[in-house]
Amino acid sequence: MQSYEYYAPRSLPDALEYLAENAKNCRIIAGGTDLIPALRNEDIHPAFLLNIMEIAEVGGISETEQTVRIGAITTFNDLAESGLIRKEFPILSEMALSVGGPQTRNRGTIGGNIASAAPAADGLPVFLSLDAEVELSSRRGKRNLPLNEAIAKAWTPAWGNDELITAIRIKKLPSGTRTAFYKLARRQAMARSRMTISLILRRDPAGIIEELRFVPGSVMPVPRRMEEIEKLLTGKVPTDELLDQAARAVGEEMVKVTGIRWSTGYKKPVLGNLFRIVLSQLITAG
Amino acid sequence: MAKDQDKTILKMTVNGEPVEVAVNPAWTLLRVIREELGLTGTKEGCGIGDCGACTVLLEGKTVNSCLVLALQAEGKEVRTVEGLGTEENLDPLQESFIEYGAVQCGFCTPGMLISARALLDKNPHPTTEEIKVAISGNLCRCTGYVKIIQAIEIVAQEG
Ligand SMILES: Cc1cc2nc3c(=O)[nH]c(=O)nc-3n(C[C@@H](O)[C@@H](O)[C@H](O)COP(=O)(O)OP(=O)(O)OC[C@H]3O[C@@H](n4cnc5c(N)ncnc54)[C@H](O)[C@@H]3O)c2cc1C
Ligand code: FES
Ligand code: FES
Repeated sequence: MQSYEYYAPRSLPDALEYLAENAKNCRIIAGGTDLIPALRNEDIHPAFLLNIMEIAEVGGISETEQTVRIGAITTFNDLAESGLIRKEFPILSEMALSVGGPQTRNRGTIGGNIASAAPAADGLPVFLSLDAEVELSSRRGKRNLPLNEAIAKAWTPAWGNDELITAIRIKKLPSGTRTAFYKLARRQAMARSRMTISLILRRDPAGIIEELRFVPGSVMPVPRRMEEIEKLLTGKVPTDELLDQAARAVGEEMVKVTGIRWSTGYKKPVLGNLFRIVLSQLITAG
Repeated sequence: MAKDQDKTILKMTVNGEPVEVAVNPAWTLLRVIREELGLTGTKEGCGIGDCGACTVLLEGKTVNSCLVLALQAEGKEVRTVEGLGTEENLDPLQESFIEYGAVQCGFCTPGMLISARALLDKNPHPTTEEIKVAISGNLCRCTGYVKIIQAIEIVAQEG
C-alpha cells in the first residue's frame, strides 16, 4: 500500500512552493492514467503527491496572433472538442481522438503525456512535428524549452524535479500548410499506439516542397523529427521515384536509431510504406 | 493498512446526495464507491484502465474510477449506475438492455450503461458509429456488442 501526503492547491504559486520544498520525493499527478497504474504496481513510492488538476492557470486553450497556448491539464477530450485547435492544428484533433477510449480521453492530459515520455506516446510525436515548446514553471521562475530538448531519454524528462509543465506553446502554421496524423494500431479503439506518422507539409504553387516535418511515433525510444528525410525531400517536386527513395531511407534511418531488434524486420518496411502512403495522400488531398 | 489518523475527509456528491467519507489518500475513487459507500454496481475488472467495468460519471464525463484518486473527486459530482434509475423506475437504457438481450453475465453492464447514458445525454440521436465510439472503452466478453449497440439504438430512436 502506498503512503504519501496528498496536496491539491488551487493556486500555481502554492503548487510551485510545495514542489520546491519536497522536490526529491514528490510526484505530480494530473489525470493519473499513467501514474495510478505505476503506483498500483509499486513502481514508484512518492512521499508527496501534488494534484495539479484544480489549478486554473495550468488549463485552458488560448491564442495570440502568432501562437496557441494549451494548458498542461488540457485533456485529450478538451483538445478534440476545441474549435480553435481544429482550425489551427487539425493534426492535434486527430491525434486526440485516436487515444484510448472515451474514459481515457476524458482524463488523460497532454502535460502528462509529454512528461511520461513513453516511447509509444501519441501526443509527443505530434507536438514535436509542430515544433512545440513546453512552458516550465518553478519557484525560480518560468522558462520555455523546445520540446525536442525536453526529453532526456525514454520515460525521463530533462527538466528539474522542482519544475512542472504549465503549458505547451505552438506557433501557428503558415497558410497552405497541410497536416496529417496516422495511427496503425492493433485494436483501433483501445490500443496504446503501435506506430504513428505525423506530417506537416507545405508546397509552393509549382508543387515544390517548401517545408516538410516528419516524426514517426512508437519506433524510437524518444521520438524526434527525421531531419534526414525532411532534407531529402525539401526543395524538390515529390515524384514517384523520389517518394520511393524516401520511403526506403525512412527504414534505414529507423534502423540507425534503434539498431536491429526483434521487431525491426516488420517495422522497417512498414514504416517506410506508411510514410509514403500518408505523404502521397497529403500531396494529392484537396 | 493505513491508520485512521492518516485519513482525510472527502466531500463529494454521489448520485445527487452529498457524502462525507474518511479516505486514505492512496485509495481510488472505485474503492471508495464500492467499499466505503457500498455502491457495488460499479465493478472492478482490470484495475488499470483497460476494461471500463468501473466507469462512472465525474462532473458529467465518463472516467475509469480505478484511475482516479478518491481525493481527486473532492467537491465534485459523481454518478454511478445506482443513480441511473430505481428498481421501480428504470432508466430506458436499463429496460432496453434487458429486453434486447444485451446482458449476459452482467459484469460489463453498469459501465456500458454509464457510457451509453453519457452519450445520449449529449447526443440523443447518435449514429451507430457514434455509439460504437462511446462504448469503445467498455469491454464485453459475452455478447459480441451487437445486442448492446442494438439496445442503445432502440432508446435513441424512441428518445
Ligand atoms: C486504457 C488506456 C489507453 C491509453 N491509450 C493511449 C493512447 O492511445 N495513446 C497515448 O498516447 N496514450 C495512451 N494512454 C496513456 C495516456 O492516457 C497518458 O500518457 C496520459 O496522457 C498521461 O496524462 P495524465 O494526465 O493521465 O498523467 P498522469 O498519469 O497524472 O502523470 C503522468 C506522468 O507525468 C507527470 N506529470 C503529469 N503532468 C505533469 C506536468 N504538468 N508537469 C510535469 N509533470 C507532469 C506525472 O508526475 C507522471 O510522472 C492510455 C492509457 C490508458 C489507461
Ligand atoms: S477496472 Fe477500471 S478500467 Fe478495468
Ligand atoms: S455481459 Fe458479460 S462481459 Fe458483458
